Amino acid sequence: MVKNHFWSPYVAGLGLGLTLLATIYIVGWGLGASSAFSLVTGVGINKLNPAYAKNLEYFSQYLDIKAPLINWVLFEVGGLFLGALAGALLGGNFKVRFDKARDMKSSTRLFTAFGGGILIGFSSRLARGCTSGVALSGGAQLALSGWIFGL
Amino acid sequence: MIAPLMVSQGVGLLLAVILGIFFGLFLERGGLGNPHKLTGVFYLTDFAVPKVMFTAIIVAASGLYLLSDLKLLDMSRIWIVPTYFWPQIAGGAIFGLGFLISGYCPGTAVAGLASGRLDALVVMTGIGAGSLVFAISYPYIEGFYSSTPMGGITLPELFGLNHWIVLGFVYALAAGMFYLMERYEKRPLKKI
Repeated sequence: MVKNHFWSPYVAGLGLGLTLLATIYIVGWGLGASSAFSLVTGVGINKLNPAYAKNLEYFSQYLDIKAPLINWVLFEVGGLFLGALAGALLGGNFKVRFDKARDMKSSTRLFTAFGGGILIGFSSRLARGCTSGVALSGGAQLALSGWIFGL
Repeated sequence: MIAPLMVSQGVGLLLAVILGIFFGLFLERGGLGNPHKLTGVFYLTDFAVPKVMFTAIIVAASGLYLLSDLKLLDMSRIWIVPTYFWPQIAGGAIFGLGFLISGYCPGTAVAGLASGRLDALVVMTGIGAGSLVFAISYPYIEGFYSSTPMGGITLPELFGLNHWIVLGFVYALAAGMFYLMERYEKRPLKKI
């Protein structure tokens, strides 16, 4: 199969938009992603060092509830993984690889991936969400938050 | 019945997985799990990412406000991400930088990993680390984090305009962007 044989972005966007519409219509909030990372980190730190986790006031929003991993966004991100896996397999686009720019060294890519990730993790907490939660869901609600984040 | 529908926790979690599957499927099929598609936007060679995003926003926004006008959806009961002006301006800027450097956002990193990309796993670890950095620095930046609150305000409310007028601007913006992007992609490609 041809590698990277994607659908038209307009078709994928239509599907994504309908998924988002269905989500808001049924459950009353939009799609998200970044909070799942923060949640898992908070729970993980709590497992490793409960005393330290208790000191981190920001994580208390996850740790003060009985079963923090029974979480809507976390389950949704689990589904995201399955759906993307299905898409990659169907499209003949699944391949284990370490993706980087053509002339980039692997050590440089390791650095850009991890460093970029840190910036994303920090800023999506600061902005109260990421591309999915704020820009996409907020954008569709014509929420001010979504449009200033997108800028 | 007026939406949003109230569902039990179990049904809600099942729906989370099902809706997530569609979310991931369309992200991956749109090419958003591929970091080169993102850097392509900045090299002005591939605009798949903004095309997918804008199409999705237009479809969902039109549907939402149509359902609301038809009294099938109660917009006042929908959770809208609250606006905190300056934290979100700053967050958006730092996010954009991280997005450009890594080639992923949180959702597309998961999609990237699902298509076999191990670099996406490194990005995901970084996102977790960044969340921890935020939690550690939270006592020092809490003031800024909570500054300039404006509530769950929408653009039609902010400007005092009918939502279809605001949507009209969004359609026009999207049409202009799509036109320019298509024109740009069709120009003869230089080998990078």
